[in-house]
Amino acid sequence: MEGRLLIEARGITKTFPGVRALDGVDFDLKAGETHILLGENGAGKSTLMKVLAGAYQPDAGTIALDGRTVRMANPRHAQKLGVGIIYQEFNLVPYMNVAQNIFQGRFPHRWGFLDHATMHAESRKLLDSLNMDIDTRAKVVNLGVAQQQMVEVAKALSVQSRILIMDEPTAALTDREIEQLFATIHRLKQQGIGIIYISHRLQEVHQIGDRVTVFRDGRLIGTRAVSQVTLDELIGMMVGRTITHMFPRDYQPRGPEALRVEGVVSGTRLRGASLTVHGGEIVGLAGLVGAGRTELARAIFGADPYQQGQVWVFGQPVKAANPDKMVKLGMGLLPEDRKAHGLAMLLSLSENIVLASLQRLFPRRFVDAGTEREVVARYISDLRIATPSPKRLVQFLSGGTQQKVVLAKWLCTHSKIFIFDEPTRGIDVGAKAEIHGFMNELVKQGAALLMISSDLPEILGMSDRVYVMRQGRVVAEVPRDKATQERIVAYAMGHEVEP
Amino acid sequence: MSAVMPQPANRRERGPLVVWNHVPPVAWVVLLLIAFFGVTAPGFFTAGNFLNIMLQGSVLLIMSVAATLVILTEGIDLSLGSVLTLAGVTAVLTLQAGLSVPAAVLAGVLTGVACGAATGFLITAGKLPPFIATLGMMGIAAGLALVLTRQGAIYSDVPAFVFLGGGSLGVIPMPTVIAVLVFVFGWIVLYQTDFGRYIISIGGNEMGTRLSGVNTAWWKFLTYVVAGALAALGGVIMAARLRAADPIVGNGWEFDAIAAAILGGTSFEKGNGTLGGTVLGVLLISVLRNGLNVVGVGAMWQPALIGLVIIAAIVFDVMLKQRGVIQ
Repeated sequence: MEGRLLIEARGITKTFPGVRALDGVDFDLKAGETHILLGENGAGKSTLMKVLAGAYQPDAGTIALDGRTVRMANPRHAQKLGVGIIYQEFNLVPYMNVAQNIFQGRFPHRWGFLDHATMHAESRKLLDSLNMDIDTRAKVVNLGVAQQQMVEVAKALSVQSRILIMDEPTAALTDREIEQLFATIHRLKQQGIGIIYISHRLQEVHQIGDRVTVFRDGRLIGTRAVSQVTLDELIGMMVGRTITHMFPRDYQPRGPEALRVEGVVSGTRLRGASLTVHGGEIVGLAGLVGAGRTELARAIFGADPYQQGQVWVFGQPVKAANPDKMVKLGMGLLPEDRKAHGLAMLLSLSENIVLASLQRLFPRRFVDAGTEREVVARYISDLRIATPSPKRLVQFLSGGTQQKVVLAKWLCTHSKIFIFDEPTRGIDVGAKAEIHGFMNELVKQGAALLMISSDLPEILGMSDRVYVMRQGRVVAEVPRDKATQERIVAYAMGHEVEP
Repeated sequence: MSAVMPQPANRRERGPLVVWNHVPPVAWVVLLLIAFFGVTAPGFFTAGNFLNIMLQGSVLLIMSVAATLVILTEGIDLSLGSVLTLAGVTAVLTLQAGLSVPAAVLAGVLTGVACGAATGFLITAGKLPPFIATLGMMGIAAGLALVLTRQGAIYSDVPAFVFLGGGSLGVIPMPTVIAVLVFVFGWIVLYQTDFGRYIISIGGNEMGTRLSGVNTAWWKFLTYVVAGALAALGGVIMAARLRAADPIVGNGWEFDAIAAAILGGTSFEKGNGTLGGTVLGVLLISVLRNGLNVVGVGAMWQPALIGLVIIAAIVFDVMLKQRGVIQ
C-alpha cells in the first residue's frame, strides 16, 4: 500500500460522564486501503468512527484530511469534506425509491419542481459505476438487506466521498451477499477510496483487510499490516484485560436441572440455541453484541415467540410460553434495558417491587397498604436498597439501586430461575460488588442463574460454566477451569480453537 | 398538548388524591370562574344553581372517569359518546318492550360492556391502535342508535326509570348520587386493587409490565370493558333525565370527557394522572357551561368558548410547569 494519507488523527480523546471512551488515539487511513477496526464491545471503535464522521466532537486531539487540519462541526460538514458513513442501522426512507434515497436532502430542481429525469439518470450512472444492478425506481422497502446496503454505499459516494466508514456491514448479510459486498469494496479501493471497516468477524480480517487496528477499553493497542499478523495475536491484543475486581463466589456441587433449552429459533437473530442451567450454578452466556443473547433470554421468558425448539422448566416442557406463565413457573428476567423493560419509571419503588406478585400477595384483588409496606420494607433492608422512602419514584434512583429493585421484584415472586441480562452494566463499583454478592447468595440457596454479560472478567469470575453465542447460535460450552478470555473471544468471533 | 410538557409531573408520589400544597392550576381556574360568574351573573350564587351544576356535571363525571382509566393505560376511547347514545336507546327499547326498570338498566350497561369488549378485543388481540379501534366503534354505535330509533327520539316515562334521572335523594339529584358512587368505584379500582396497579403500570411501561409476568392484554381489555360500561351507565341516566333516547344525544361527549381528564392533569404519556384531578376538570367544564347559560351567552357560542378556556387552562399549566412554579 503506497497510497497517500487520507486521514491522520492524532491524540483523539473523548470522555462521557464516567467513561473515557477514547484515550489519546492515533489513527490513519491511506487511499485505496481497507483499515479494519477490531475490539470487544465498548472498546472504542464506534466512538472513533463517530468522531471521524463529525457526529462527536473530540475533547482533545486533531484530525487532518489530506494533510490539512480540519474541525468537523457536524455529520453534514464531514460529508462535505468527503467522509461518508454507513451505520449498522440504515438511514433509508422505506417508501421512497432508490433514486430519491440517494439524493435525499439535495433533490435536483428544475423551475422549482423536482427533476426526476436527472435524479434517475445520475443514480443510474452511479449504480452502474459500482456494478450494482438495482432499479432506481424500486422502493427501498422492497429491496433485500444487501441491496439496501448498496443503496447506502451509492448514497455515500454520490457526494464524492473519498473516505467510507462501514460499521459491521456484514452483520445482516448472507454469504452470497457478503461476496457481493466485498466485490464492491474492491472496486472502491481501486478508485482510491479509503475504507474504515468495523468488524466482529475475525475471518474478515484476512479476506478484506489491508491493515488492522485493535482497541481495548478506549485505548489503541496496536496497528498491524494484515499480512504480518495472525488471528491468535489479534485475540491476544483484544483481551489481556487484567482482572482486578475480586468476585464473591462459593462454588458447590450443582443441583438438579432447572432449565433446559433445545434448538430455539426466534425471529431472524436467534437461529438455534441450546443450553441447560442447574440449581446452584451460575451459567455465563458470552458473545458479542448482536450474537442473539438478549433474544434468547426473551424467547426463554416467553416475551417473543419462537418458531422452533423447546424449553423445559424443572423437567416439564413449556407449551405456548408467555411471561405470565414463565413467572408462575418460577422464572424471573432482569432485562438489559432496565429503564425500558425492567421498571415503570413513574411508579414508586414499592409499586415496582410488588408489581409481579400482586396475585400472590393479594389473592382477593384488594391491595392492602399495610401488607405492601411490610413486604417492601423487608426487601429494602435485605438488599440494602438506599432510598429515602418506599414511595420514591424509581426514576430518581441510581442505576445500582434500580437493579436492586428489579431483583427485589423477582425475589418477591419467589423465583427459582433468574435470567440476568447484563446485571451490572452502568452500575458503580460498589453496587456491582453487592449485586454479585446477591447472585452468589441466590445460587447458594439453590437458585439457577443464567447470566448474560459482555464483561469478560464478570463472565470468568462469576460463572460455573460458560456458553458462547455467535450469529444466533450457541457455539460452545466452556467449563470454568478451561475458561479464559482468549478462548471465549475466539469462539465469539468464529476463530477455531483447540478443545 | 400534554406531549410538550417538559417534565412528567410527579403526581404519583403524592398519592391518589389531591394534596393541597400541590394544587393543580385547574383548581384556581375553577375558583376564578366561580368568582367571575358570581360577580357578573346575579342568579349564579344560589343553592338551586349549584344543584343544577351538580346535575349537569354528573353524567360528565361518569364519562370522565371512564376516559381517565383508558388514558392512564396510554390509550384513548373515542367511542364513549356513541356508546352513551346507544345504551340509552337499548334501555328505552327494553322498557318499551314491557320489561322492568332493572332489566332496562342492565340492558343499557351490557350494551356498553359489549362495545367495550369489542374495542378491547380489537386493541389487544387484533393489535389495532386504540385510536382506530375506538374510532370505528364510535361510528358503529352511533349508526346502530340511528337504526334502532329510526332516526327519531324514542320515549319512556316509566316512573321508576324517570326517577333515576329526575329524582333526588334528599336534595341531591339521583344522577349526582350515581356519579359519586361511580367516582368511589373508580377510586377503589384504581388505588385499592391490583387491576388499578396494572392500569397505571401499563401506562407507565407496558413492555416492562408484561415482562413482570402481568397479562397486560387481559387488563387492557378489561379497562375498555369498564369504560364502555361506565359510558353506558351515563347513557341510561341521560335517557332517564330526558325521558327519551335521542339518537344523537351523545355526539361530542367523548371530547368533553377526554378534555376533563386532560384538564385534570392526566397525561397521554406514561400513565400519569389522578382521578381527583379529573373531578376538577369536570367541575371546570360544568361551571363554565352553567355560567355561560346564566350570563346569557347563547348555546351556539358555548363550544367555541369552552374550547378556548380548555386551551388557555392547559397553556397556563404548561407555563407554570416550565417555570417550576408547580411540579
